[in-house]
Amino acid sequence: MAKKYSMIINLAKCIGCQACTVACKFQNKVPEGQFRTKTPANGLKGTYPNVSQYFIKEACQMCQKAPCVSVCPTKASYYNEDGVVLIDVDKCVGCKYCMTACPYDARFLNKETGAADKCTFCYELKVSKGEKPACVSTCVGGALMFGDLNDPLSEASQFLAKHKGEVRKPELGTHPNVNYIYEGVVK
Amino acid sequence: MDVIWGVSVDEVAWGGAIAFYLFLAGIAGGAFLTASMTDLFSKKQYPKVIQSGAYIAIVSIIVGLGLLVVDLGRPFSFWKLLLHVNMGSVMSIGVFIVSGFTGLSVVYGVLVWLNAAAQKQIRITSANTEVAATSVGQGLQAFRKPVAGLGILFSIGTATYTGFLLSAVTTNNFWHTPFMGIEGIPFLPILFLVSAISTGLAATLIGALNCGDLTTYKKIDMVLIILEIVLIFILYLSVKPVFFSGSMAVLFWLGVVILGLMSPLLLSIYSLAKHKNVILPVCGMVVIGGFCLRYFVVYTGQLFK
Ligand code: SF4
Ligand code: SF4
Repeated sequence: MAKKYSMIINLAKCIGCQACTVACKFQNKVPEGQFRTKTPANGLKGTYPNVSQYFIKEACQMCQKAPCVSVCPTKASYYNEDGVVLIDVDKCVGCKYCMTACPYDARFLNKETGAADKCTFCYELKVSKGEKPACVSTCVGGALMFGDLNDPLSEASQFLAKHKGEVRKPELGTHPNVNYIYEGVVK
Repeated sequence: MDVIWGVSVDEVAWGGAIAFYLFLAGIAGGAFLTASMTDLFSKKQYPKVIQSGAYIAIVSIIVGLGLLVVDLGRPFSFWKLLLHVNMGSVMSIGVFIVSGFTGLSVVYGVLVWLNAAAQKQIRITSANTEVAATSVGQGLQAFRKPVAGLGILFSIGTATYTGFLLSAVTTNNFWHTPFMGIEGIPFLPILFLVSAISTGLAATLIGALNCGDLTTYKKIDMVLIILEIVLIFILYLSVKPVFFSGSMAVLFWLGVVILGLMSPLLLSIYSLAKHKNVILPVCGMVVIGGFCLRYFVVYTGQLFK
């Protein structure tokens, strides 16, 4: 059965340590100054005693209706058999059309290859071998989860059954496969 | 962007090169349209307009395509755009429209040039060679009207394509703006088509300066400018004010509205009333305004989301 891989980001547990950011750079040899994932602070809000701050991991949201895939003129951006959005570097001409279309600023032109680049869920290097993406296995706070939502027994499915996952910019109809849990943080 | 603190820098995926390409593709389409329409409907009167438009079309589209290729992350793989096709992608479809247009405009330009060369020869040579020159030219000239006709379709295609390229980005609130709120009719292709004809006509007239009475063309350009003012007004009302703010405010009000539309309109009204020849300043402003418009649309759509 086809998989529906999803990442779950439990914001209350993220301490903003950037271990994921670094692990991704190691794993995927991302060029200097460029990031497939990063976890910036979401502004410091409020006044004492109600000051709040949280970190929000950003990367490709693995849209099931991905604008980047539909605009790509060469089909370099595509859904693989497990619904993961990937880029065929060989087909990519670097036109940046996908970058204008992605509403999550997830893409960049790789300085070394000239092709579009972004998070792959570590599909080829990890997930296809039954492992978790590098960021998930390294996460210090235990904020990241990964699994197949088509499998009701997976950790991800079980977790989402009990907690309310939200996707970013749902109004755009992109149907992301990355779920954020806002429980315990002040939005 | 700062990894930890999320300080964002204004980065746009498509910058000046793309804006300039969209502008040049518009000029090329408009210039071709001016030349071919003149050719089909009033050949005898305006040979210089036909030549000017035909040559400007070739130069603009080729320079424009050059810019496009140079702006690619991988310029040497541009040919893959022809190899891998995605019929669901406006850019992929556009590649074929623009290629067709480029081919046709080159063929048309050569035919116009051969015709002009033959005309010249007739004037300067003896009766004997006159016959020879015309017969060679005449054979090829039979293709000129069909090429012009087909080219008209492709030039309109190219000009509107530049709008569709942006309007197809459904996640971009500005680019995706519908026409008068009618979902399914995007705004930019209409605006860019009118601007393309207006700027292409203006550029053609600059190339055909002092070539007899161009009053008809001036009047057409005035109508186009008025039409564009109406469209810009509708656009202004259709989108959020933020798109006209910050650095974009100057570009929009000074470049697009005052320099590109209001001044040329007022100046051409004045010139028609006083019978003064102001083609160069009027057309110059229209052309610069057209560039400001592309730049404004490309940037503001990406800077504010
Ligand atoms: S987040 Fe952006 S890059 Fe990732 S699938 Fe969605 S549109 Fe494409
Ligand atoms: S930059 Fe590459 S992946 Fe993105 S739209 Fe262009 S060809 Fe496709």
